[in-house]
Amino acid sequence: MSDDHDHHAPIEGGDEISEFDVLETAIRELAIEKGLFSAEDHRRFMEWAEGIGPHGGSRLVARAWLDPHFKQRLLADGTETSKEIGIDWLDPTGTGTPSDFTYFYVLENTPAVHNVIVCTLCSCYPRPVLGQAPEWYKTPHYRRRVVRWPREVLAEFGLHLPPGVEVRVHDSNQKSRFMVLPMRPAGTEGWSEDQLAAIVTRDTMIGVAVPRADWNADRAPTEVRS
Amino acid sequence: MTVGGPYPVLMASVRSVGPPGGESARAPAPWEANTQATCDCLSRHGTLDPVERRRAEDELGATVYADFPVRARPLVVTAHALLELGAISEPELEAKMNAVRARFRKA
Amino acid sequence: MRRFQIGDRVSVRDATTLFHHRTQSYVRGRTGLVVEHRPEWLIPEDEAWQRDDGRVEPFYVVRFRQVDLWPNYTGLESDTVETEVAEGWLVPAAEETTS
Repeated sequence: MSDDHDHHAPIEGGDEISEFDVLETAIRELAIEKGLFSAEDHRRFMEWAEGIGPHGGSRLVARAWLDPHFKQRLLADGTETSKEIGIDWLDPTGTGTPSDFTYFYVLENTPAVHNVIVCTLCSCYPRPVLGQAPEWYKTPHYRRRVVRWPREVLAEFGLHLPPGVEVRVHDSNQKSRFMVLPMRPAGTEGWSEDQLAAIVTRDTMIGVAVPRADWNADRAPTEVRS
Repeated sequence: MTVGGPYPVLMASVRSVGPPGGESARAPAPWEANTQATCDCLSRHGTLDPVERRRAEDELGATVYADFPVRARPLVVTAHALLELGAISEPELEAKMNAVRARFRKA
Repeated sequence: MRRFQIGDRVSVRDATTLFHHRTQSYVRGRTGLVVEHRPEWLIPEDEAWQRDDGRVEPFYVVRFRQVDLWPNYTGLESDTVETEVAEGWLVPAAEETTS
């Protein structure tokens, strides 16, 4: 029976299985057969990886905004301080072998410095605190351009920084992972940690946006501005 | 809004990226996430170092597999690395792919 | 014992190597400022081969001015890039001039 024939078989939806699906399944199953890992291991990594979002990072930022001592600890030792909100960079790393990638540094934005992160060599990303990297972060397009024309790239994201602000690009080429600690926006006086965490979105911790009191990414934008 | 068009500026753009199923048809594919989890497992097991794999992705992606969509690089390079390391053999992989095809495409 | 202190001006060697490394081409041969110390880590040249007896080196965060990295940089004078560099890749700035 040819593939062509199968393709026209009356299965509902016509959802095609690509050669990439075939290759992926084949190497996964061969690895399982050879005892490199189990199907259950694989499923657990899937479940875990798909479940982590940027909420850990948002929590770190909100707490740092409210508690100067926590902020001090966070800036001094991101890896250790993450444990205070239940994120252990050693287990699971989700990003490599246990000896790898366990150094986490938080970069503080100030009125004089705006930080933005990239990995020009691959696509290193602080997964334990921000979840999966957005697709654009992994593209050669972003990686190549943000280190070379950062203001242009930020402007494409709608972020225009005034001349008095130094744009500082952090290229995570070695063991470290980075996250930006944005500045607390106006209009959030008296807010609780939960309220603050809600406006600390993924992009503000990558550094391609800044938080605003009237926006969190949990709902679709309700208006657009001219 | 009426249907209108076609607009040449759009038609030229669409034509430049090829037929449906090409890189432009960007639905997140399950095999991409599966590949990531496979890499996590292989890294955990010590079979394949993730830094080494990412480097290979950049190198092989720009040369041997330059014609593949960028998003397929992690998968193709992981397969490449497993062959290179001798963790799996080419005939084995071919046989397994045939078996998977038959299994997935049976009516 | 660390060779460089915070505030030192350092240049990245313009070495080409057959081995795997993670020193980006855009900083090679360029001069920047040591702004932070990082721990001693296994250097990627050895790690890639999964050697247990790999060499360990102190790492540094080096800050480069964008205008020193790129010809015709279109941003502002104040803009910078920071990245981590192994000690073996660094020399005191005086020993090697920037292009």
